[in-house]
Amino acid sequence: MGKSMSKAYVLGTGMIPFGKFPDRTLADIGWPSLREAVLESGVPTSSIDAIYCGSALGGMMSGQRVAKAIGLSGMPIVNVENACSSSSSAIAQACNAIAAGKYDTVAVVGVEKLTKFGGGTLPLENEDWEVTQGMVMPALYAMRANRYMHEFGLTPKQLGEVSVKAHDHGALNPNAQIRKRVTIEEVMAARPVAGPFTLWHCCPTGDGSAALILASQKVAKKHKPAAVHVAASEVTSGKYTNGYRDMTVAELTVRGSHEAYEMAGIAPNDIDVAEIHDAFTIAELMYYEAFGWAKKGEAYQLLSSGATSLGGKIPVNPSGGLLSRGHPVGATGAAQAVEIVRQLEGRAGKHQVEGAKIGLTHATGGGIAGFDHGACSIHIFAK
Amino acid sequence: MTTPSKIVTNDALADSEPHFVAPGLVDASGPEPRLVAGKCKACGALSFPKAVVCPACLSQDIAAAHLASEGMLYSFATVHQAPKNWIVPYHLGYVDLTDGIRVLAHVEGTPRIEAKVKLGVARVGTAADGTALMSYVFTPVA
Repeated sequence: MGKSMSKAYVLGTGMIPFGKFPDRTLADIGWPSLREAVLESGVPTSSIDAIYCGSALGGMMSGQRVAKAIGLSGMPIVNVENACSSSSSAIAQACNAIAAGKYDTVAVVGVEKLTKFGGGTLPLENEDWEVTQGMVMPALYAMRANRYMHEFGLTPKQLGEVSVKAHDHGALNPNAQIRKRVTIEEVMAARPVAGPFTLWHCCPTGDGSAALILASQKVAKKHKPAAVHVAASEVTSGKYTNGYRDMTVAELTVRGSHEAYEMAGIAPNDIDVAEIHDAFTIAELMYYEAFGWAKKGEAYQLLSSGATSLGGKIPVNPSGGLLSRGHPVGATGAAQAVEIVRQLEGRAGKHQVEGAKIGLTHATGGGIAGFDHGACSIHIFAK
Repeated sequence: MTTPSKIVTNDALADSEPHFVAPGLVDASGPEPRLVAGKCKACGALSFPKAVVCPACLSQDIAAAHLASEGMLYSFATVHQAPKNWIVPYHLGYVDLTDGIRVLAHVEGTPRIEAKVKLGVARVGTAADGTALMSYVFTPVA
């Protein structure tokens, strides 16, 4: 999205509390969010020009299945799969189409039902050679954590404090999957998943959906003149190598954040609130550095200073993040966007970041051999 | 079939027709196992696993080549929760081989970051039918 192109505005948001809903279909997990977003926007369903649906593991025609439940059909519906970045990539497609003048009103929905797999780590693609050797997502992040601890002297207990902060926030969020605080002692004593991670270092598996109605300036003026707008919309992919790679640097997020800041014309310190991809504790610390909020190796100091907690200088993951709000993979990007829009509109409730005017979302993932991550999508929203 | 509680060596399983989880990655026919890579005949780029098309120059003329069998353990994780068939817990690590390739592998013994490690073969799991699942592994060099 070039600066000269027209911006997208957010007219409506919808989200269901994340959780485990094994008895609901994907469509039944998805439509309540889409309905809420449509009703909140005030836009008649007949004027929705297109729908982009993000889902990683929902199966064929996820968007059609969700949309038809509330009578939406006949318009272009495009299903976007980009692992953990699926629905944030769907938002980017909507922004591109609005910026290009193709559509005026676009619905985006992210939906996922992970309980259909019966628990355990996320199923990965067996064609990937690393998967044939026993790779699981917690192990990938745990290797990052062990190397980071080796190079910068971070301790497992310090790492665990990321989880304590996440659950402090999530306990305040009625949409969070895990609405309880945990102590550092509980984090340390939980069952091991992939050393150095215990269960509380890892995001839960679950189900959920979130949706947004995005529109051109023309439509926004009519329905919601003070709407939050998208100041930057960015998707990128990882760079492949079969050689050495510094796993303590989130290369893909570093690259994406530079692009996003440039699009929005802002600096790292201009961000008032952020929802970032804390799939595992180490991820949050590495992303503080990738986004330019902390120097290399100093992320823990930023966390322990309280700057990234509610009430701090740059609250990160006020929703509880992936660790507490939950991570139904394909729904995460849309849920982050709903959270940030509601923050900027001052209606986040008990976990409101006071006076937030610029907010950032970040969803990255996809474990593929030879990549930092497969995909990364970053959005910056502004009032 | 119960899951063995310890790693069984390749020799001990010689009569039970062990099955490699990814046979194309390792050549276990000689006295020492070797990792099988590709070397592009046009530009010389190494690929692991052996590529069909060279990602560096798009040539399809790629010869099989053996990778170095020694390297340094870049990092590791101790996996307690894994898909069925794996013997948990297991150490999984990235090994930086001396020829510039990074390989994911099971790590035997007590892993330590920046330890020198050497290639071997070991049992890593058990298939649904009870067959031993083998793979290449790395072990720290004392």
